[in-house]
Parts: sequence; C-alpha cells; structure tokens
Amino acid sequence: MRRLALAAVVAALCAAAPFASPFTLTLLIEALIFGLFAMSLDLMVGYTRLYSFGHAAAYGLGAYATALMLLHFQLPLPFGILAGVALSVAVAVPIAWVCTKSTGVSFAMLTLAFAQLGYAMLYRFKDITGGSDGIGGIPRPPGPFGLAVFQGKLGYFYLVVGCLAGSYFLCRMLVTSPFGAVLAGIRENDAKMRALGYNTRAYKWAVVVVAYGFGSLAGALYTPFAGFVAPELFFWLVSGRVLIMVIVGGAGTLIGPIIGGVFFLILEHQLSETTELWPLIFGTVFIAFVMLAPEGIWGLVRKYTRAKPARAEAEAPRAAA
Amino acid sequence: MNLAGFILAQSLNALSQAAVLFFIACGLTLIFGIMRIVNFAHGGLFMLGAYVGTSVAIATGSFWLALIAAPLAVGAVGAAFERTFLARLYVRQDAGAYLMVTFGLAIILAEAIRLAWGAQPLGVAIPDRLRGIIIVGNQPFPIYRVFLIAIGAAAALALWQFLERTRAGLLVRAVSQNAEMVHALGTDVQMVRTGVFAFGCAMAALGGVLSAPLVTAFLGMGSNVIIDAFVIVIIGGMGSFAGSIVGSLLVAFVQVFGAYYFEDLALALMYLLMLAVLIVRPGGMLGKEE
Repeated sequence: MRRLALAAVVAALCAAAPFASPFTLTLLIEALIFGLFAMSLDLMVGYTRLYSFGHAAAYGLGAYATALMLLHFQLPLPFGILAGVALSVAVAVPIAWVCTKSTGVSFAMLTLAFAQLGYAMLYRFKDITGGSDGIGGIPRPPGPFGLAVFQGKLGYFYLVVGCLAGSYFLCRMLVTSPFGAVLAGIRENDAKMRALGYNTRAYKWAVVVVAYGFGSLAGALYTPFAGFVAPELFFWLVSGRVLIMVIVGGAGTLIGPIIGGVFFLILEHQLSETTELWPLIFGTVFIAFVMLAPEGIWGLVRKYTRAKPARAEAEAPRAAA
Repeated sequence: MNLAGFILAQSLNALSQAAVLFFIACGLTLIFGIMRIVNFAHGGLFMLGAYVGTSVAIATGSFWLALIAAPLAVGAVGAAFERTFLARLYVRQDAGAYLMVTFGLAIILAEAIRLAWGAQPLGVAIPDRLRGIIIVGNQPFPIYRVFLIAIGAAAALALWQFLERTRAGLLVRAVSQNAEMVHALGTDVQMVRTGVFAFGCAMAALGGVLSAPLVTAFLGMGSNVIIDAFVIVIIGGMGSFAGSIVGSLLVAFVQVFGAYYFEDLALALMYLLMLAVLIVRPGGMLGKEE
C-alpha cells in the first residue's frame, strides 16, 4: 500500500517533469542525488549498525573519479559514471578492510580519518585535483551510440531517477537476501553471529564496500550535473549532514533516508532563501528527532499507517527503560 | 641561522600549540571515558569560549577576567545540555544517538554564534604583561606563547594530581571503569557525569579564550579544531587522560614540523599518523580496545 503510493509519486514526478521549470528540475535532480547518497549510508547505519562518519569519502571519490574520467578520456556520459564508480569501489576495498578492523566509535573515527585524508590528499596532488580550486568545466559527452538525451536537463533527470530506482531495488534485494539477514544479525549481536560460525568481519567488509559503491554513484551523478567538483565534497560536515538525513528519514528502511535526503534538500533550498535561521531550525529538528522519534519520518509513517500495532516489540525496551 | 636554534624555536612553537590542543582534547577524552560519548559539539564549545571570552575582555578590558568568565559560562551551557538531552539518552545505550545529538548541538552553536556576533572575526589584544618577545637561541619568541606553555603544563599537572590523588578524582576514574558498580555503592553517578561534562566544556572554552589573541575568534574555528582534537584523542586512546597529553604533543609537533619540512603533506600527515596508530593499536596508544 505504502509502496504503491510511493510508486505513484515517482510516476507522477516523471510524468510532470517535462512541464517543470528548469529551476524545479535542478532542485529535484540535486535532491534525488542526495536521497541516493543517504540511502547508501543506510546500508551501514540502519542495517549493520556501523556508524560511518566519513561517508563524504564515498561521495567525493565518486565525484572526483568521474570528473577525471569525463575530462581526460571523454567517455560517453553513462560510461564515465560507471567508470568513476568502478574506480571508487576499487579504492573502497582496502579502506573498508582497514575500517572494519574495529566497530562502534573506533569505526566511526576510522571512516572519518579516511575522508579527511582524502580531503588532505586533494591539496597534496594539486596537479590532478586542482587543489582548493577543484576541477571545473567538466563536459557531458553524448551517451552511447551518440545519444545526446542525457545532455539536457530533462534527460538527466530521468537518468537520475533511473539510477535511484535501480539502486533502491538492488539494495532492497540485498537486505532481504540471506546476506541481509546476516547483516541484521550483526546489528543485533555481533558476538552471537560469530559464535554461530559467521565470519562477521567479511560481511561487514562487503557491506561497507557496497555502501561506498552506491555512495560513489551519487557523487558520480553529481559531477556532470554540477559541472565542477571541489574539496568540500570530502569535508566532514558533508558526512554529518548525510548521517542526519538517514536518521531523520528513518534508519534501516532504505526508503526513509531517500525521503530524508530529498525532503531536507528541498526544505533547505526553500527556507535558506526566506530565513537566515535555517541551520538553527535544522539542528533543532534533528535533535528533536533523535530524542523523540528515533525511528525517523518513515518509521512514523509506518507506525501510523499500520493497522495492528506490530511495532510493539520495538517500543518495549524504551517503555521498560 | 643555526639549526639547533631553529629546532628549539620550532619546538617551543609546537609546545605552545600542544597546550591549546590539550585544553580541548583533555575534556573530550574525559567525557568519553565517563560516558562513552564522542562530543561533536566540543569544537563549537571551544568557539563559544573564544567569543564569550573576547567579548568579556573587550567589555571589561581585562583578559584575566575573560579567562574565568568564559569557562564558567560555557561550563553552565554544557551542564544544561547534559541534563536536558544526554541524560535522557543513557538508557538507550546507543553510541549513534550521542554522536548525533552532539552533532546537532554543534550546528546550533555555530549558527547561534553567527547570529549573536556576526560574521566578522573578533580580535582581542594580548594583555600588556604578556606582550613582547624573548630571545631563544638567537630567535625571537613571543612571551604569550611561553605563557601558553606554562599554563598548559600547569593545567595538565593539576588535572593529573586531581585524578590520581583526590577522592573526587578517584570517583571519576571509578565511574569510567564501571559506572553501575559505583552507582550500586551509593554514589550519585549522574552528578559525576554532569560535573565531568561541564568541566570538559569549561576546559574547551578556556582553550578557546587562550587561542583568541593568536588567531582571533572566527566562525569555523570550531569545525577546524574539533578534527584535530579527535585525532589527538584517538591517537592517545579514547578515555585516557595521559593519552590526551601524549596525543596533543605528537599532533602539535607533526603540525609544526610537518608544515616546515613537508609543506605539501602537512595536512595529510596528521591523518596518516592517526591511521598508523589505529591499525597497529585500534584502541590508541594508551587506551584499551573497546
């Protein structure tokens, strides 16, 4: 029922897109990219309880790798994006291996360290990365077989929608598969899963790489759209923001973080034009969610649209405390 | 220019930087030790200290008064925050919730400061008695930085004595080892938590006031310094007081000498050091693995 409603929203968006103003399209594209980014982090935070405070690294890696692919090799746009993602995943494999050596706070700090290291490296290798200036003038070469449809804003919108929908279905398959069940087991009790004979480290390693992969896809989609990349993409505040969006949207639901990302980016755009107080509101709303509704927007939707109180078991520990 | 003199001057420079970093890092590590909270707002509280202190110094003309007023004010903010928000989260036992609530506070602080003081940096003069330079091995060296080294060393020594020698210090160490047991023995653990959190915030504010004459109070000083402080605490070992001293020294020396010898790598050097430590010892140099 809820899924049908969502599918209807997406279909309506796609149908209405040709009539939308360029400004609205730009905003929507940005919002959907951020939704994808937030969803990728949810694989770690919501499904495995691995709090990454360096997810900006995935975004930045994807963005920079794609920038280099498009700029230097003139790859057709979709291939440039794919190549950027592939490159990012290759970099993520060793990073994820090191990070999953630890859990909890140490894991958060390790991911943060890698993101900040990436930030620092951009300044170190100025010749390739442009240092603090970033890289500008990134082209959008025509698609495969000379298709130029992605060069326009509307075509790009459909590309982003397609990537988001595809990623969502892949992630949904992943978390409902036996692999996803093991992740949930790790989230609830790592030691027990090890006692049952699972190599939890390998599972964590895999999920971090996958999350980096989808995160870098978001970054890769951002690059040709914005036309430039800057070191700020790697900065820890980006990691903090996306983590907020996951929590506010509803961790462990995939859809929730997408909504959180889309919702907040649009709200930010609208409010930051009308009020200076936006970041203040943002911080307050965020604290309110952590304190009062840790299940997030989607968790609330679930709670109030479900006929029977099936979330009783989730409420029990809080009631007991 | 002789090499020995240069190294001496740079070392003193690094020591003074370590002193400022220590004020932030020691609070961060104590708070983590007691509550298992990574306080993302610590940079914001440092910045708040710098702004409040600078304003007090400008209004009253006394830097010394600022050194007292700012930590008190920021400590009160910290205590209020701990009571209202963090105290309600302890039952949830969720490290992520702490991370996020304090991150929310960091955002609010940065914004509130921008609204209250505006975007212009706020400068404050070095007090008369600490102005001027001394000559160290043919190199001029500001007296204010000597003062920083002295006050940093004094604070580290006093805190160490407090933790090791006093009953209250014993309580703090006990809570960090086993809060439930201390509670069962009849101590109000919540009081210890509030006290340590407020104290950690006050120390950060003191660091903020002390660094204000060097760098002025500016927006963004919080988000810069918090990462340095994290690196220190992780290198030293989360929750380890001695670790925060060792970490502050290491990071300050890497920053000062790195900026000179490996200009390109200066930024990255600190993170590489941190990664190296974490890979060899996941709990930090003097910490224990969680």
